[in-house]
Amino acid sequence: MSLPDRIDPRPPRHIYRWDLDKTYLQTEFDTFRQLMRTAFQKATEKVAVPGAAALIRELRSRGDAQLCIISGSPRQMRSVLEQKLRLDGVEWDELVLKDNVRNLLRGRFKALRGQVGYKLPVMLESRAKAPPESDEVLFGDDAEADAFIYSLYADLVAGRVSEAVLRQVLEAAAVYPDDAARIVVSWKKIPTADPVRRIFVYLERLTPPGRFSRYGPRVVPIFNYFQAALVLMADGHLSAPQVIRVAIEMIQTSGYNLLTLSNSFQDLVRRGLPLESVAKSLMQALEGPEALIGAIRPFPDIVSAFTKRLAALGSAPPPPAAVAIDYLGLIEDARPRRVKQHDRFED
Amino acid sequence: MPGPITIAFDVMGADFGPAELVRGAAHLSLEAPHIHALLVGDRDAIAEALKETRHSGERISVHHASSFVAMEEKPAEALARKPDASIALAAQLVADGEADALVTSGNTGAGILACAQRFKLIPGVRRAALAAVFPTRKPHGENEDPFSLILDVGATVEASPDDLVAFAVMGTAYAKIVSRNPNPTVALLSNGTEPLKGPASVVEAHQKLRALQGLRFVGNVEGVDIPKGTVDVIVCDGFVGNVCLKMLEGVQETVLELAQYAYKSKLRWRAGLAMLSSGIRRLKEVTDWQQYGGAPVLGFDRIFIKAHGRSKARAIANAGKVAAKAAAADLCRAIVEGLPK
Repeated sequence: MSLPDRIDPRPPRHIYRWDLDKTYLQTEFDTFRQLMRTAFQKATEKVAVPGAAALIRELRSRGDAQLCIISGSPRQMRSVLEQKLRLDGVEWDELVLKDNVRNLLRGRFKALRGQVGYKLPVMLESRAKAPPESDEVLFGDDAEADAFIYSLYADLVAGRVSEAVLRQVLEAAAVYPDDAARIVVSWKKIPTADPVRRIFVYLERLTPPGRFSRYGPRVVPIFNYFQAALVLMADGHLSAPQVIRVAIEMIQTSGYNLLTLSNSFQDLVRRGLPLESVAKSLMQALEGPEALIGAIRPFPDIVSAFTKRLAALGSAPPPPAAVAIDYLGLIEDARPRRVKQHDRFED
Repeated sequence: MPGPITIAFDVMGADFGPAELVRGAAHLSLEAPHIHALLVGDRDAIAEALKETRHSGERISVHHASSFVAMEEKPAEALARKPDASIALAAQLVADGEADALVTSGNTGAGILACAQRFKLIPGVRRAALAAVFPTRKPHGENEDPFSLILDVGATVEASPDDLVAFAVMGTAYAKIVSRNPNPTVALLSNGTEPLKGPASVVEAHQKLRALQGLRFVGNVEGVDIPKGTVDVIVCDGFVGNVCLKMLEGVQETVLELAQYAYKSKLRWRAGLAMLSSGIRRLKEVTDWQQYGGAPVLGFDRIFIKAHGRSKARAIANAGKVAAKAAAADLCRAIVEGLPK
């Protein structure tokens, strides 16, 4: 029997969809000057959010994962973005960028900043090509409409949103008719399944996490990617040593320490995420044969720090309740945000 | 960037409830990356408040406390009955080294007692003192803080000459660190500037302070010098300090009430007040205690800041900053070094 001359890759079991700006990259484009600076940055000048590259590398290392990146950055930035991803050791399967030149030439100014009419069809088209049994984890941020779009996408694929509601949402979100038609057509091609397991919203703008409770417990707001790694470990996507490697990168390159990591852990527990078993596995991994604890010096107290943070809460809070998402009621979230929030005391 | 400092906030028992304290600590987590807030109190109440408040989850942790001491409760009785009260747990966490300083805006007596039961007095200090800042005409220190420090304002009733000396040293160390005043002036509060004026304890303390090296003792001052800001640190026993402080607060409130009366009474007076409004606003800013955080309780080997019971988020955040500044500069060591050997 002869061996085949090529080995087809395994169909992906897990699809990780990532936004780029403000989710993977630390990007500022709230002002015209920042927008210009971002546009002309070299790959070496671009900075990834701490832990994001390590997390992607660990997710991809399992071999049955696919990375799909959907970014609102213009297509003209493809080479610099690809270069940046390569510099970070990130391998991707899809990198979709926005055709803003075309939008400009066609006078579609709403589409320049609009997110629903851009991301939703791209995600649905990508899903139509994916193996029906594959599950998905989505990564976005709180700067734009990611929680809304990702949740809508998840509920559309799962058949929880009717066509009538979808059409109302698209109209309210000021989606151009041809994009709306594209969304409906792509959606109808997708076999009904419930693949989206988690939606992570990186709190780039430090939006209060409670604001996302309207999207149900599937949406997990995170302050950093160590938190995402912990939840993904609880969900079976990562092993304890992989989570520790994400933490190590954050400690070594971005100034994270025992306090910030253990506080991040407790923050999730307070929000009702069941992480007790994750803590135990992490401790075993730290003390186990791989002796990863040596790698996170000078913070050898991480085991006791996690234990203390758990004990400090008394009993574990109950998990958040599932909710039916009222997309029409949340339509404001789908519109582009203009002003960055400022911290003020209202005495 | 300075190393991380953890401040334990007892978030229970204040007039506006835990939400206001949580908001203050949350703001601090955004504003001061080196400060970590350890919130001690009812887990669910804290979680509820945090959920709707912008904060950094990386710089906040929670320690659940199942009970708290209310404002109207008797401190000793309440603490004996409630070993898991938030103030007791918060003080214990500081004593155990889990946090570098304690901030509370709850029951003052319970705060001091909880600390007295868990912290040690600095060697050479017999009694802790509650210090308060009072707005003055003259700015003080490098920060140009428009207030002077007065202590003790109520932690004890009587003070021996040695206690008054210790208060002077503690107040000086605090002014050096918090007001960035490298050489603060310190005086005893008396009924005359002459060294022999006042009760025996003040006269003896005067002699001892005169002889003490490393302290800029300028003699006695009278009550009138407090609002003038003649000196940076004013020392007295807790009975006198508390009477002075309450009287000064009363005068302030009366002036405001008079202004309100004038505003309502005559159109001409109202117009006059309107013309003065920017000046009045500035005066209000200067005398606004919320921007000065809280009152330090000095003399323990740990930092303890007592914020006003009516503190809102801004005052709590400022109290946290003051506590962090004192902890980072090792206030307790500075006091030890200043005490007579």
